[in-house]
Formats: sequence, C-alpha cells, structure tokens
Amino acid sequence: MSTTLEIGSRREGSEAGVLSLKGEVDVANAHQVRDAALKLVSEGVRLLVVDLSGIEYMDSAGLGVLVAIHKRLREQGGSLAVAGPQPRVGRLFEITGLSQVFAVREDAAAALKEVGG
Amino acid sequence: MKIAAPCRIETRLPRRPEFVRFARSAAKALALQLDFNYGDSCDVELSVGEACANAVEHVCDVECTEILMSFVIESNHLVIEVCDHGQGFDPAKVESSQEDPARGLGIGLQIIRALMDEVKISSSCQTGTCVRMVKYRESEPDAGE
Repeated sequence: MSTTLEIGSRREGSEAGVLSLKGEVDVANAHQVRDAALKLVSEGVRLLVVDLSGIEYMDSAGLGVLVAIHKRLREQGGSLAVAGPQPRVGRLFEITGLSQVFAVREDAAAALKEVGG
Repeated sequence: MKIAAPCRIETRLPRRPEFVRFARSAAKALALQLDFNYGDSCDVELSVGEACANAVEHVCDVECTEILMSFVIESNHLVIEVCDHGQGFDPAKVESSQEDPARGLGIGLQIIRALMDEVKISSSCQTGTCVRMVKYRESEPDAGE
C-alpha cells in the first residue's frame, strides 16, 4: 500500500521556485519531497515556496524534510516558506513550533512575497 | 454494525514504511466506526502514524522486523499501543531535545502528546519501545468535515 503523492514544480524568476504537493506525505514518501526540493536547489533556487494546499495528510517525516531544506537554503542565504496548508496540516506547524521557524502563508503568492521571490 | 465494548484487537505489521499508511488508515477507520467524531478520528490516524513511523525510522536493530499494534475498545475510550522490540531509547532525552527537529523523533512524540488524551512511552534496551495512547470519545459524534 503506497502513499499517494504528486509533486509539481515551477520556477518564478531566477532564484525563486514553487514546489506544489498533492496527496499525502508520510514516512514512506517524504524522501520524494526532499529529492524534488533539492533538485530545485541544485538548479539555483534559493527562495523556495512549498505549496501544501493539496496535501490532506502530512506527518513528522514531511515536517522534517521541510526543516532540512530550510536549513540548506539558509546556509545559502535563501529561505523557505509554506503556502496554503489545510487546517489539519497547518495545525502541525503550531503544535511543533515550526510556524516560528519558517513562514506559513495562505497561498503561494503570499509565500513568494514573504521569501522575496 | 457496532463493535461492542470491551473488545481487543491485535495485529502485527512488517516494520517497513509502506505499512505505516495501512496502520494509520485502519486506526482511523476503527475510530470512525466507534463513533469518534471526524476530527478525533484524524487525530488517532496521525498519532498511530507517528508511533509506527518512529518504530520504522528509529529502530536500528535488524532483528526487529515487526510492529505490534493493539486496540482496546472501551465504552467511552480507545486505547492504542504501538510496540516494537528494538533497542529502545530514552524518552526523556528525546522529548527534552528539540533543537534538531529534522530528526523527526522528537517532533513525532510532540504531535502524539498534543493530539491524544493520554500518552505513555516506555522504552528499554531489553523490551523495546511501546507507545500507549488513549483517546476519549465525545458524547455526540459530529457529521464529519
């Protein structure tokens, strides 16, 4: 039983990018999110928005990947913001305090503005 | 068909990532069948998912190949245990160490504690780790979300 996850990505100018996720992120597939994000970073993206509006379920493995990518971007002078989490996913950022680590905005446009893209 | 309390369900799962979804989905389905409201059923799903993910990700013992999951259905609450026979860890050390959330274990336990009504974690190198979680049912089930 595999976990359903669709990952899309797009560039927004020379340094910004949006990773759009749809489905579920858990321990079985969080590495796919990490790989997709690192691919964007390797292509020069320093300002990354992860659009979670299509995510119905995410666990700590997904949160851990976001933290790791955030750290990587910070080391390169960039930043990460999260866009549009549904209430049950958004609540996780509050529970874990990660809403204090990176910006959580209502949509991708607002998140892009936050990271400076 | 209603499940009459008290009742105990036990299952053993391969300690592999692809079975975590099965475990959490089963837990959510059971909670819904027991007339837990939708939000609480989602909390049960996520908590079971986190407990199983901990067993999958943070047990290094190759001899530990199974996760033992049990549900005890009582009249007004559900008791869930997720156990492994791995090398164990120090729960106090993990929960007091939040400086590296990317590791996941601390975050997972933090989430379980926030979502479940009672949580007890026992762990030792002799017996492995067992996460015991209790969720109480509200009196009136809601209509879902």
